[in-house]
Amino acid sequence: MSGTISRTIRVFAAAARRDLLITTRYADFVVGMLVWPILMPSLTVFAAKALAGPDGSGLSAFADRTGTTDYVGFVFAGMVLWMWLNMVLWSVGGELRAEQRRGTLESNWMTPAPRLAILLGSGLNQMIVSAIPVLASLTVCSVAWRVRFAVTPLVGLVFLVSTIAVFGLALAFASLVLFLKELNAAVFFLRGVFMVFCGLTSPLSVLPPWMRAVSKALPLTYSIDLVRRLSLAGASYADVSHDFWILTAFAAGLLIAGCLAFIVVDRAVRRRGTLGQY
Amino acid sequence: MSVANAIEVDDLRRAFTRRAPGALTRMFSRRRAKACSGDDGRRPAALVAVDGISFGIRTGEIFGLLGPNGAGKTTTIKMLCTLLEPTSGTARVAGFDIVREPARARASLGTVLSGERSLYWKLTGRENLEYFAALYDVEPITARERITELLDRFELTDKANELVERYSTGMRQRLSIARALLANPPVLLLDEPTAGLDPQSARNLREVVRKLKDEGHTILLTTHYMAEADELSDRIAIIDHGKVIALDSPTALKQHIQQMHSVEVETDRAPDGILDELRSLPLVRGVECVQSGNGYETWTIRVLTEDSRQTLDALLDLLRAGGERVLNLRVAEPTLEDVFIALTGKSLRD
Repeated sequence: MSGTISRTIRVFAAAARRDLLITTRYADFVVGMLVWPILMPSLTVFAAKALAGPDGSGLSAFADRTGTTDYVGFVFAGMVLWMWLNMVLWSVGGELRAEQRRGTLESNWMTPAPRLAILLGSGLNQMIVSAIPVLASLTVCSVAWRVRFAVTPLVGLVFLVSTIAVFGLALAFASLVLFLKELNAAVFFLRGVFMVFCGLTSPLSVLPPWMRAVSKALPLTYSIDLVRRLSLAGASYADVSHDFWILTAFAAGLLIAGCLAFIVVDRAVRRRGTLGQY
Repeated sequence: MSVANAIEVDDLRRAFTRRAPGALTRMFSRRRAKACSGDDGRRPAALVAVDGISFGIRTGEIFGLLGPNGAGKTTTIKMLCTLLEPTSGTARVAGFDIVREPARARASLGTVLSGERSLYWKLTGRENLEYFAALYDVEPITARERITELLDRFELTDKANELVERYSTGMRQRLSIARALLANPPVLLLDEPTAGLDPQSARNLREVVRKLKDEGHTILLTTHYMAEADELSDRIAIIDHGKVIALDSPTALKQHIQQMHSVEVETDRAPDGILDELRSLPLVRGVECVQSGNGYETWTIRVLTEDSRQTLDALLDLLRAGGERVLNLRVAEPTLEDVFIALTGKSLRD
């Protein structure tokens, strides 16, 4: 058993290292990693500033809905977490698609290595690379906008559980990539859904009731709300425990479902004979 | 490995079902819709790539799978290395069933598929081997030694720290074989290993394959080059349209048509219109025509006949009647190419 675990960890680490080496050998990745994460949240912050009015008189309505007047922190908390989770969501499927295009997928699938470990390693690489724009955003937020986030162990736990939940979704999407190959339309659709329904830049209370109902079915909604309440509004565990355990249930369920989906689709693709197609 | 046969294939079959063309396809591309349909225009046609093949490969032998493009060679390899599941039939690699125990089968295999894109071009040669060593479950310390040994053996040490995108085709192929040997597997599957290589590189690679056999590896080699199969293989299975049509040693296969002669005629014009007439001559069992690649505009017609003396007169009469000028003529011992023509009625190049 310990041999299997150490072997799986070795495969996982090898896949992460492989992707990290390849990513850093394309020079433009630095631009994408640094520039966009700073620009995107700032767009919303400037819009919010305009809505708040020159004397900030509009902020009281915002505070009534969100529990805080710190709209910069509110926006950045949502956008930064969304950026992180968005990259995790497409990490596995995106890497699988890259393997198909490169022609290296079959080389990996011909080895005895556990395939989920290879995919998880790709995901780990994406998380490491995604940490750069997240840190860049947080730095801009702290230095330029003077927002102070409370970074507590509970905030870290929410980040971790959210990542696990999204990873389950990521494996499910990787299955679709294996099956359908090109997923651009689905990717853009789902991004749009998350951006509108998960309260990225606005409180959920501004959404109509039917949209709020949809929001409650998305794990990102809980992630973003929990991070805001814990790091901006000073909430305690007792204040957030109910939503935290809902998020944890999402994480467990989605991870299991994602793994199963991948195993089933992998077998189906080998039966159909479409693994090598892209 | 104690099994007598390193690979056992029993009635293996692989069919690919074509989906029925959708409404949009039928509307915008009649040609594609027809290609996807069966004779009645409605049922999707199924492509049977491998049609009930059976063979056993003995431990330590080089087994050649010889056939034209589209014969089913790569599909067979992909089933054995578990990239494809067979539609029916069974196969065992080193005693492990490819469907029930795929991971164990893969652990006993080193596979080199055709094509240059099976390596990571944005990694160096060494990084590629390090990565795949982890996937083949080679312990890190052993992997380091093994990688150094393989880089040296395949003359890649000087280029080990360069990106694979800067390698030549021959270097990439050698690196692919090095990767297949990382875990020192008992069985190697080589899918057209010399395709795309210059003659010198191909010759060097064939020498590598011979040495691998001497080291005790069992090798299944697919190729559409007759000479390569003849030179390397202990036994050859000739495959065409998904079926094994002959299986024996190269010598035994050629002996089957020992009584046949191969008449080669070189002409200065393309023999338009007379090949079918040649095929219909009595005692002629196969005809092929190849344009020479020597820079001159000449064609070589090869006629496989049961009696060259009887066929020769008729052959020359036909050529003269067609206005052909005979530049050269010889009667040769049958080759594997002739075996293929005798069995299928066409050449490997058709």
